Amino acid sequence: MRPTTFQGAAFAAALALALATFFAAPALAQDTLGKPDGALGKVHAAEGYKCTKCHTTAKKTDPVPQETCLACHGDGDSKKLAASTAKVKPVNPHENRHYGTEADCGLCHKQHQASVNYCADCHPRFDFKVK
Amino acid sequence: MSKDQTTEATEIDSFTRNVLAHGLSRRSFFSRTAAGAAGIGAISLAGSTAEAATRPNVDYGISSDGAASLSFLPRPQPIAEADIKETLTFDVVIVGAGAAGVPAALSAAENGATVAVIQKHPTPVSQGNTGTGIDLATSDKAGVEALVSKLMVDNNHRSNPALLREWAYNSGEAVRWIIDRAKPAGAQVVDQGSGPQGDIRKVNGYTLNYVTSFFGPKPYTTGDGIRVLAQVAQKAGVKFYFRMPAAQLVQNAAGQVQGVIAKGPDGKYTRFMARKGVVLAAGDYQNNKAMCDYFIPDQKNFGRKMMDRTGDGFVMAYWAGGVIEPIGHTKMLHDFDAGPATMCDMPFLVVNRDGKRFINESVEMSLINNYLRDEKNAGHYCQVFDADYMSTAAKWPGMLFPPEKLKNYMPEEPGPKLGVFPSLTNTWKADTLEELARKLEVNVPNFVATVKRYNEMAAAKADTEFGKAPQWLAPIVKAPFYGIHRRLRLTTVCSGMLVDSKHRALDADGKPIPGLYIIGNMAAGFYGGVDYPLTVFGLSLGRCYTFGYLTGRYLAKL
Repeated sequence: MRPTTFQGAAFAAALALALATFFAAPALAQDTLGKPDGALGKVHAAEGYKCTKCHTTAKKTDPVPQETCLACHGDGDSKKLAASTAKVKPVNPHENRHYGTEADCGLCHKQHQASVNYCADCHPRFDFKVK
Repeated sequence: MSKDQTTEATEIDSFTRNVLAHGLSRRSFFSRTAAGAAGIGAISLAGSTAEAATRPNVDYGISSDGAASLSFLPRPQPIAEADIKETLTFDVVIVGAGAAGVPAALSAAENGATVAVIQKHPTPVSQGNTGTGIDLATSDKAGVEALVSKLMVDNNHRSNPALLREWAYNSGEAVRWIIDRAKPAGAQVVDQGSGPQGDIRKVNGYTLNYVTSFFGPKPYTTGDGIRVLAQVAQKAGVKFYFRMPAAQLVQNAAGQVQGVIAKGPDGKYTRFMARKGVVLAAGDYQNNKAMCDYFIPDQKNFGRKMMDRTGDGFVMAYWAGGVIEPIGHTKMLHDFDAGPATMCDMPFLVVNRDGKRFINESVEMSLINNYLRDEKNAGHYCQVFDADYMSTAAKWPGMLFPPEKLKNYMPEEPGPKLGVFPSLTNTWKADTLEELARKLEVNVPNFVATVKRYNEMAAAKADTEFGKAPQWLAPIVKAPFYGIHRRLRLTTVCSGMLVDSKHRALDADGKPIPGLYIIGNMAAGFYGGVDYPLTVFGLSLGRCYTFGYLTGRYLAKL
């Protein structure tokens, strides 16, 4: 079906494996229970939460649904969470014209890398300090 | 070639024939493999970037020459029956709640169909303000045809005239229908008639009139309007499923598309079966980097105006047997927020980030992106004028905003910004050229030298650099000096999947794929030029509304 030779596929697989070993192994070593490697993950860990608090499924690489975030931050209601930042200037980042109150938390708030201001790429004057 | 195929080829129009010959489809691989299977393998190994991005045990779509496997076209993986929590059945299932999908849903429901709309976003999404149609009752038939011909020219002769006619002869009715449904439900919308279409009220001497729907002013947009229209659709019985990205189409052995499987926020799948048809209205692929690098490689350095437009619909349609228009897709890059929209095509002095001229400034904004594709400029340019602009540019095309109204676009001026997205305003004023250059973020000494040279040419009434007409060479001598720093970003890519004039997806033989319809910006054939033409202001939304309206009705009546 695909225009790759057997060697092509094998090469890709080998490369993928090599890359996975090179990059993933050190990350896995650090990212053990209670010792996550990212910004907010560290905050959560410092408060005593285990990986399984968020990663409830068998595979910890599974994406965490934002309902999991909202369960603690906003009593499970994105509108409630948005209300808590209603006075942020110049605009409430949690209630915006793109997603309403349901923007994916992970667009800005990263657990295993530095958080980012997702708005700023398009709106340079939305200079939020993202925690 | 068999006799049958020859006969059929003569029935296919030249646009479709070209896309079939040069576009991307599963069949294009099969038919071309025989020519050089050994060579394909060798090229594929050399094409390491595509190769490295692909996963083992997954089939990928291939380039139109069969030489490269394309990482952005993975064959959908089978979904286990156990992972599908429920199956729902409707007459019509629509993927995408935008300016095409929502009208399609409402139109189908009004004509008696049961309808589901599945949407990746938590809300319906659209953008822009203006959507336009032709008012047939007050337009000359020859005028309608003249406009279609003009659009062919402005699309660089690469669109399908049958689709342009489908818009031309149905759009007035469709746009009026949108207004009639949205307005009573509370949407902020008006019919501006032919007002905004000054340049095309006469084409080749024939008269045309328009229905120009305007959802606005900003920050109110068609996005807000479509959300109101979705509520109207909901009241008409349409079921909306948000945060439910479509994962793959359901297709039987005969090739008929029978439904869509979508993934809900809980990670579980729902199967939506469609008795009459599935409509893909899933939008473009501007946020899919690999896909952009392949189809529109010169757009690498431009910012994106939208989010989550990852071309999911293309993957589904391709693997269902559809055909993607060949490389060189039409795109749209505008900035109507930095300064007044009506001043965007006025031929003021224009400089790049080096503070240098780079064009004859009579080039329209919709085309300037072609000069600013490099990493440094990346779509940024500045229009510059001096304190006397109200008199020196009084007779230029467009409409000037006086200094007091220009403040609405100046971040430094206090007060609310009206009719514009405040965070995107980018107009500046300064008492010296040096200060203006700093505010515009352009090279200061180069800018000062550019203005000096420009003033000399204005005095001599001869643009020896770019040949701009002398009446558009207004010197920049009197403070305060003004600059509009425009930032062109990608609004949409508006090329895509091959369809016929009933919006049925076509396969590699040019035959309709049973049960599959494609509308909105992900459908092929309506444009084709280097850039979206600003011939008809509001053509893009007008086309989306019209084809949604027609396709919904067509499907309901099947």
